[in-house]
Amino acid sequence: MTGNGTITASPQAPDLRDQEREAQLAAALARCAAGDRTALRVIYDSEAPRMVGIARRILFRQDLAEEAVHDAFIRIWRGAAGFDPRRGSARGWLYAVVRNRALSIHRDEHRYEASDESAGDVDSETTLSRMPEASALRRCLEQIDRPRRDVVVLAYVHGMSHGELAGRLKVPLGTVKSWVRRSLFALQECMG
Amino acid sequence: MSPHDADNAMAADYVMGLLDGAEQAAAERRIETDQSFAQAVSAWRARLADLDLTAEETPPSPALWQRIADATKIAPIDALPSARAALRGTTLWDNIRFWRGLGIGGAFAAALFAMIMIGALATSRQLRHDMLALAQRKPIYVAVLVNDTTKEAGAIVNAFSNGRVELIPLRPIEVPAGRSLQVWTLWDRAIGPKSIAITGQSRTLQLDLESLPETVQDQLFEITLEPEGGSPIGRPTGPILFKGNAARAL
Repeated sequence: MTGNGTITASPQAPDLRDQEREAQLAAALARCAAGDRTALRVIYDSEAPRMVGIARRILFRQDLAEEAVHDAFIRIWRGAAGFDPRRGSARGWLYAVVRNRALSIHRDEHRYEASDESAGDVDSETTLSRMPEASALRRCLEQIDRPRRDVVVLAYVHGMSHGELAGRLKVPLGTVKSWVRRSLFALQECMG
Repeated sequence: MSPHDADNAMAADYVMGLLDGAEQAAAERRIETDQSFAQAVSAWRARLADLDLTAEETPPSPALWQRIADATKIAPIDALPSARAALRGTTLWDNIRFWRGLGIGGAFAAALFAMIMIGALATSRQLRHDMLALAQRKPIYVAVLVNDTTKEAGAIVNAFSNGRVELIPLRPIEVPAGRSLQVWTLWDRAIGPKSIAITGQSRTLQLDLESLPETVQDQLFEITLEPEGGSPIGRPTGPILFKGNAARAL
């Protein structure tokens, strides 16, 4: 969003595109559940790059991120019938599957090491700045003081555990747990 | 759900990825069984969803899709659990789970279709195309063609509401040189079998039933081995490879 002239006209278009994409993904999941393999490819073409990005923020390595996406697509194929459009968006469901796989690989095989340089690049403020200005989540996160809001972003985006957060922010475990809890409550109050 | 509710806190931690192994497994079980917990999880997913969209799109290596395709190749049989049993020798006819599975899949597709309709998103042509494809995915009649001797399932025939009928082979059928596979249907013994397709190899076929009455319950479908180009006398002459009767999908 750099051109001033387009700002007033633009909010509608991406919204409609998102709705369209969402409906296509929901339809594709229904087709997967019916055994249509071309539908899995439709989902892959549409969402795999974002899913690799999501997994990479947790696992830092491209090969591990692709492993998570690989596992996720096998689960999506086998579990497509478990997606219930009344409960939430298709996209949210797909991203939850890949985060789940990435977190599982992270827990089993790839804990943050002191020597892990890439973990140093983690920065919750950069993530926040990438969110659309109109995002209610962004607005509500910005109302929470740092570093209490950092724990939410670091845990969700980078898959950090309570222990990892405590180590990184150099505060006791109990403090981290209470920050997470209170920040999430504040978000719920703020967003409804 | 109140923010201070223990279930709500557990749902939030689950979506955040902060539960340990045992707690996480417990949460996953509750999603299956506890409607209000499942709703709390969905609500947290929706709240935090914008964070997913901040992930940079990173193209996967070209080999990734091939690996996924290979790993999911056998899965269509998983989707119809008893089809595999059929391939091992039992028939599908008595297996209620198979039929019920088909019915549930169809009902799910129909429910989703209805939901998307109500969603008033019908503005896009692509979407309309998708909805149509979805509606046409539910066959009204299904026939599983089985070999009489080996009891192996060889193909499935699906008849759809718009009159479309397709044959999907479940296994490769060896066709000797100079021979063809011919597909027949019989709905009235007085009239006799009618040819609906001739092919040189086992592949998915769109069957030509235009000139025939609509598919009915118990209508017989069969595949025979015939001279190249089809039976010269308009009736099956060769051995019956696979046959089965249409049954209404639940």
